[in-house]
Amino acid sequence: MSARSPGRFIGRIILYAAAFSAVFPVFWTLLNAFKNRVDIVTPTPLFFFTPTLDNFAYVLGRASVFEGLVNSILISGASVLIGAVLGLPAAYAIARYPNRWSHDIQFFVLSLRFLPPVAIAIPLMVIWLDFGLYDTRLSMTVTYTLLTLATIIWLSVPAFARVPKEVEEAARVDGYGPYAIFFLIALPIASRSLIGAVAFSFVLVWNEFLIALMLTTSDAKTLPIVASELTQLGRDVPWGVLNASVVLLSIPPLLFIGILSGMLNSAFKRKTS
Amino acid sequence: MKQKNTLPVVFLSPAIAILAVLALVPTVYAVIISFQNRELSRPDGSFIGLANYISLFSDRRFINAIGVSLTWEAVTVGMTLIIAIGLGILLFECASPRMRSAVCFLFLIPVILPRVSAAFVWKFAFHPLYGIITYPYKAITGQPLDLLSNPLTALGTVALVDVWQWGLFFAVIVLKLLETLPPQPFEAARLDHAKTWEIYAYVAIPMLKAPLISLAFVKMIESLRAFDLIYVMTRGGPGIATETLDMYAFSQGFIESGRISYASSMAVLMMVATSLAFTFLWKRVKS
Amino acid sequence: MTNGKTLVSSIAFACLLAGSVSSIAIAAECSGTIKVLAQPRDGLTLLEEQKPEFEKLSGGASFEIDYLNENDRRAKSKADASTIGKYNVYYIDEANVALFASSGWVAPLMDYYPADYDYADFDPGRQKVATYDGKVWFAPLTGGGDLMVYRKDLLEAAGITPPKTLDEYIAAVKALNQPDQGIYGTALRGQRGSGANVWRWMPFFKGFGGNWFDGKTPVFDSEAAVKATETYLELFKYSAPGSQTGGWDEVVGAFTSGQVAMIIESTPLVGMAIDPKSSQVAGKVGYMPPPTPLTGGGYGHGLAIGTKANADETSKACAGLFIAWATSKENENRRLEANQFSELNRTSVMTSPKFAELYGPDLGQALAETGKVTAVNFWQSPQWPDLGDRWGIILEELIAGTRTDIKDGLDELNGFAKDLVARSQ
Repeated sequence: MSARSPGRFIGRIILYAAAFSAVFPVFWTLLNAFKNRVDIVTPTPLFFFTPTLDNFAYVLGRASVFEGLVNSILISGASVLIGAVLGLPAAYAIARYPNRWSHDIQFFVLSLRFLPPVAIAIPLMVIWLDFGLYDTRLSMTVTYTLLTLATIIWLSVPAFARVPKEVEEAARVDGYGPYAIFFLIALPIASRSLIGAVAFSFVLVWNEFLIALMLTTSDAKTLPIVASELTQLGRDVPWGVLNASVVLLSIPPLLFIGILSGMLNSAFKRKTS
Repeated sequence: MKQKNTLPVVFLSPAIAILAVLALVPTVYAVIISFQNRELSRPDGSFIGLANYISLFSDRRFINAIGVSLTWEAVTVGMTLIIAIGLGILLFECASPRMRSAVCFLFLIPVILPRVSAAFVWKFAFHPLYGIITYPYKAITGQPLDLLSNPLTALGTVALVDVWQWGLFFAVIVLKLLETLPPQPFEAARLDHAKTWEIYAYVAIPMLKAPLISLAFVKMIESLRAFDLIYVMTRGGPGIATETLDMYAFSQGFIESGRISYASSMAVLMMVATSLAFTFLWKRVKS
Repeated sequence: MTNGKTLVSSIAFACLLAGSVSSIAIAAECSGTIKVLAQPRDGLTLLEEQKPEFEKLSGGASFEIDYLNENDRRAKSKADASTIGKYNVYYIDEANVALFASSGWVAPLMDYYPADYDYADFDPGRQKVATYDGKVWFAPLTGGGDLMVYRKDLLEAAGITPPKTLDEYIAAVKALNQPDQGIYGTALRGQRGSGANVWRWMPFFKGFGGNWFDGKTPVFDSEAAVKATETYLELFKYSAPGSQTGGWDEVVGAFTSGQVAMIIESTPLVGMAIDPKSSQVAGKVGYMPPPTPLTGGGYGHGLAIGTKANADETSKACAGLFIAWATSKENENRRLEANQFSELNRTSVMTSPKFAELYGPDLGQALAETGKVTAVNFWQSPQWPDLGDRWGIILEELIAGTRTDIKDGLDELNGFAKDLVARSQ
């Protein structure tokens, strides 16, 4: 690497600016969530103010927010669980037992992602209405399983493929059967990447918006829907409350950021070694 | 000799069966409803053949939405890649290892944020009166800046949020890709007194051509999911300047008039178009 | 799949068996949660503090209000009511009462409204708006007409007397527009929607003598409509920033933060503009009926009984009791105490000494005068929301400037209306 040079200095400035742009809007929202309305509706933005917890108290005190939180946890949790239980073995089978359909299956799984969400949501709305399951947690969980299952399979195939073949071979020599190899050897070795894949699918359905918007009206509303309703409230715009609800919605995915960044690192490191 | 192993069948069939049912049933349903005249408030529809498809092509808003969607794809994919490659190279070139990992971590925040949150954060930042981004302009010129209600700038402003989410994330991936490259070609080029930008333009980027094309492919797919941002930030406005296909299908099928069959015909066309386009692209990428 | 939360359940069999048909006797045995889909109102927020009172009154029922902004509330309640109908009580308004009533999504209110809550006490104008096809469908939460609201200080400084005609009004708006000092001539609604930009455009349309339909033939591609649109767009040049895609909220925000000189808006604006808690210009506000020939946009919002979620008579009665209680004299008096001017609908409350003491005689007089020019501007039909929303989009395009030919836009709307009338038959 070259020594200090003006180019390098400018490059660093740009990088700092980009990092700042990644964090500052989020930080500003967090700050606003602790402001009274008068401190937000000012001609000049305020950095110093008397903080208040009223906004969070209001958001957390609303039954709709609490129900949205419960719905989001149950629906995302259940669909991720089903996706993992069915998807991880399927991914292993694709990675370790290639046959003439493997490519087609992989492409089919990927092609599910090509479908515009609105194109899935419109017919599903009619289907769930006809079955009498519209706006229930069951129908939402089933719908989301489509997303989690496809994502987990897609991301886990390379994770299993990276497990050294020799290790599995050695286990086979030691008398392990194919199922035992999967559960006792492959799963633990690939676990770091697999946890990343599962976490990613959780973030995906936790953040999902369009399908939930079309498939729920009240009982099964998820948190993004509730938050978007709050952010569109208008009328005296309760800006502080809006900021607080956005902060609340964003906390769970941000908790996974460590796991996901670890997944990124391992995905690229293994390839080089 | 290998004995007959039951594992592939046992492991694969439940997952594939579920995926097939969950994907095929709605697709078939969408096609069937698109030939009817069903409305949300009148579930008993009758078959009207291709009437929905025919009226789509004289629908001014549908034609407009195609244009908006194509513009959106082109702008977000292009900008994301430019930002990602630019920042990725800067990270590789200028940053110390510690700075790299810290910046990478921060670059992941936008993409992990729920899109509803990202949309709101920026909508508020762009608020003409109270926004933090528009504040300097307002302070200097005395005029408020209302980017989201100007038909010329609205789509670009929303696209900025998308690029903010994906461009920074892809920059991290570009950095990781650069780190996987062997150092020898770089050193050889340096010995030939190649300038830094020449090393990247003629050595590094061509070596990463395949993964970069894959990244572009992924971004094209993800750009189909513009709805959340547009719904929260502009609702397709001003007028129909930011009304993408999914926004228009949504408002026809649900909120605005509940014409579920009409919306379905749009959905079917979108499915056909994206499946054809991406299958074609995928085969090209793979070959 | 049943959810843990059952809707209002019926355990009033004992009462029914006893033969007591009095609605109060039935309603006194309510349980569960009454789900309400509404738009944010200070009056409803205040109501949420009184949950225990309703629980006692109803014999154990509670209520839960989901809030959506006006456009979304209209869209979502329509989507919900036309599909599964999960809400026991809908917040409906002048624009969609015809749709909800004729589709059977809401029940006739008076069948389940306990007589001693005195429906006849509501302002007659609001009762008229709540009536469709000879029956009453909702109990009002808010309503009124239009008022011209202006900044006394700015008009005085510019030597302008409050305008009485539209020409004077336009001239005054132009004269008062000083963007470099952060003051705009007016604020209009640009956001699409039958209850948004179209709502503010209609007084011009009607004032210039326009009509929606001649029998079943749409006739609004008329001179009056062109002139109304031209005038509306002309005034938009002096409208506060943010209002080009904004609705009522942005307009109120712009006026109460002191950026707007003069405005014609729905009557609740006055209440917010003179309230020091929500307004930075509280002491500087004057108000008058809208300049001639504009007609005030008569409106009313209120609560109605959903039919799908309240499958049996008992739950309908419980919803009726909730509505009666929510709009009762006691609760209106609480809103008066809390200085919620725009949440008052009862004659007995608006003529009370307390009201006069709080708002003075001026406001009462202005309201009475503007009542004379208040009219029904929109097309009274179940299809009105569809038609109005379509015009809203075209109007928004005209305001944004992505479309310039007014006549062409009106012709497109006429075509849409013909299609709409044909489809509904």
